[in-house]
Amino acid sequence: MRISLTGLNHKTAPVELRERLAIAREKLSTETAELLSYDGVCECLILSTCNRVELLVCHEREDPGLPGYLNRRFSVDAAALQPHLYNYKDADAVRHLFRVASSLDSMVVGEPQILGQVKESYFAARDVGAVGPELERLLQSAFAAAKKIRTETRIGASSVSIASVAVDLARKIFGSLEGKRVLLVGAGKMSELAARHLMQQGAGSLLISNRTHERALAMAAKFNGHVIRFEELLARADEADILITSTGSTEFLFRAPHAQQFLQRRRNRPMFFIDIAVPRDVDPAINRLEGIFLYDIDDLQSVAAANLADRGGEARLAESILDQEIERYKHRTEALDVVPALVDLQAAAEEMRQAELRRNHAHLRSLTAEQQEAVDAITRGLMNKFLHQPLLMLKAAAREGDSARIEAIRAAFQRESRNGHSEALGPETSLDSAEQSGEAKTLLSKS
Amino acid sequence: MFLLCLQVAVALYGLASMAVLVAVFGHRSRWARLCVVSSVAAWAFHAVSCTEMLAVAHRWMPVGMHEVQSVLALLISTVFLLILWRYRTLSFGVFALPLALLLAFVPALGPDKYTFSSPLVRSGWLFVHIVALMMAYAALIFSLTASLLYLVQERRLKNKRWPGFLEWLPPLETMDQIAQTTLVLGFCGMTVGLFAGSLIAQEQYGAHYFADPKIWLSFLVWGLYVVMLFVRRSTGLRGLRAVYMSSLVFIAMLSVWAANLFSSVHRFGAP
Repeated sequence: MRISLTGLNHKTAPVELRERLAIAREKLSTETAELLSYDGVCECLILSTCNRVELLVCHEREDPGLPGYLNRRFSVDAAALQPHLYNYKDADAVRHLFRVASSLDSMVVGEPQILGQVKESYFAARDVGAVGPELERLLQSAFAAAKKIRTETRIGASSVSIASVAVDLARKIFGSLEGKRVLLVGAGKMSELAARHLMQQGAGSLLISNRTHERALAMAAKFNGHVIRFEELLARADEADILITSTGSTEFLFRAPHAQQFLQRRRNRPMFFIDIAVPRDVDPAINRLEGIFLYDIDDLQSVAAANLADRGGEARLAESILDQEIERYKHRTEALDVVPALVDLQAAAEEMRQAELRRNHAHLRSLTAEQQEAVDAITRGLMNKFLHQPLLMLKAAAREGDSARIEAIRAAFQRESRNGHSEALGPETSLDSAEQSGEAKTLLSKS
Repeated sequence: MFLLCLQVAVALYGLASMAVLVAVFGHRSRWARLCVVSSVAAWAFHAVSCTEMLAVAHRWMPVGMHEVQSVLALLISTVFLLILWRYRTLSFGVFALPLALLLAFVPALGPDKYTFSSPLVRSGWLFVHIVALMMAYAALIFSLTASLLYLVQERRLKNKRWPGFLEWLPPLETMDQIAQTTLVLGFCGMTVGLFAGSLIAQEQYGAHYFADPKIWLSFLVWGLYVVMLFVRRSTGLRGLRAVYMSSLVFIAMLSVWAANLFSSVHRFGAP
């Protein structure tokens, strides 16, 4: 099974393109199911955040042609899309996924949201049966690596998430946040986090507006805030000094004439718009108005870049942990790949033993039942002793990821490789293969 | 003795000017502490120097270019320390401390050769008149600087250039508050100064004194000041338009200073 990863992110594509490909959370399962039905795809997962859209697939064929899928599915011109896409295969795809889950590829390195978003994608894919053993193993390893990096480095310790970047920017405008009012439009996780940061930094009060009034009420209860009905949003938005918006609206909620009215009502006191939504909620033209400051997802990237420099050391440490985790994943995969070889060897030896016992059946017939049992035990013991060393070597080779040694051991016993041909020790197996596979796995786990 | 104090103050202003540059541009907290300590020490020596200088002359009014420069430097240093104390920002020191250093440097070289012999210089009202107006000048310099920095920070935030050389700029709202507060302070200084000056003029020269170009220009500046304050307060004017207004008043104020050349009565010569 091969792994392919195709997508675009904040480094390769502008927000205008990303927002065209963005998949809403509620549509993630449907889209994943759609991708699973694509020719050649065995297992798959779609990761869609405000910063990236990525398709991760396991496939048998050489290449399922994921860029073509994106073109057709999202009706984006191939020529426009192609320069912004990246396409990783096997080891590169694994590394990329590990980096994404560990937030090393994030716009704000170390931000914690991405792991949750990858997990969300995983649950959505699992729900539609798109996660098989290969992807399961890969994703669980990626989650474990991300967790390890978070605990063993200080990568998430300093406030460099989009939320804290927003707080920093608010401070550049307002100085102290004491007494400042924050309006949350939409109830996304990211905006909730930004609001929480702002409140922790001393922001006075929180106003919440959401299309679903009940959800706004629930959030208001959670943050001890006040609700503004969505219909009254434009009439009351000027009450806020900081406006964080992250709705799923496909059209701008705030345009320049609205902002002009806000400024008039606020007697030109500055207003800070943080537009986390993709597609964007705020018309970029309003940033031209004096007293209005607008930052969208892409704008925050420049701020994040500054923080990135400060955490270079931690990121380097995280990369080295990531290398180890990728190696561990590789070994684990190869170890699991060696299970069929172990089973194969044991089965072949057992078959040889049975064949010899059958051949000498005439001589052994005169023996008593107890004597026959003793012969059986002796031959079995001999066989196990004979196999003991090669099996140990096979396990060690798997542990060390030494595929050449694995192939050499296979060749020594004239067993066919995974893609090979010869079958010197006999084609039939007399033992229950599932049982043997279980034994082999037990052997491996003991090692 | 006052000259020695002033020379020490100048040396300390020099140290503070250097420290503020390293502290602000290099984000060094040790240098920030050095800047604060040397600024406060410079102010103390400077204040002692000015007091002694006027006490020795048996008057409270600074006369002659050296004395005026020295007092103006002291006022600028005072406003800087007030801003530092109130807003906890050193950034204004980047402009204020070198300016104080430059203004105090020449007076520190030696006493002024030219003095005014008019007995009016011993009048308390004239002291109030001069010092209040100088305070207005100092405050307006800060207000204009704050408005300009506001504009730069606003452009920076809008253009989203992070990080950069201007990382040291204080937050927008802090600069707006400084601009507003110093404007009010300057207005108070100007009102008191003009009131004291008018009283002296009425007493000494009568109504014809008010026909002097320097005088009516001064009242024009006061009028502009009132308009600017009203507009800023009522509309919350900020940014580019605020800079235009502050610059206009500042230029008008400079022209009042320059109007001494055309003034027939505002010369403090012997009567």
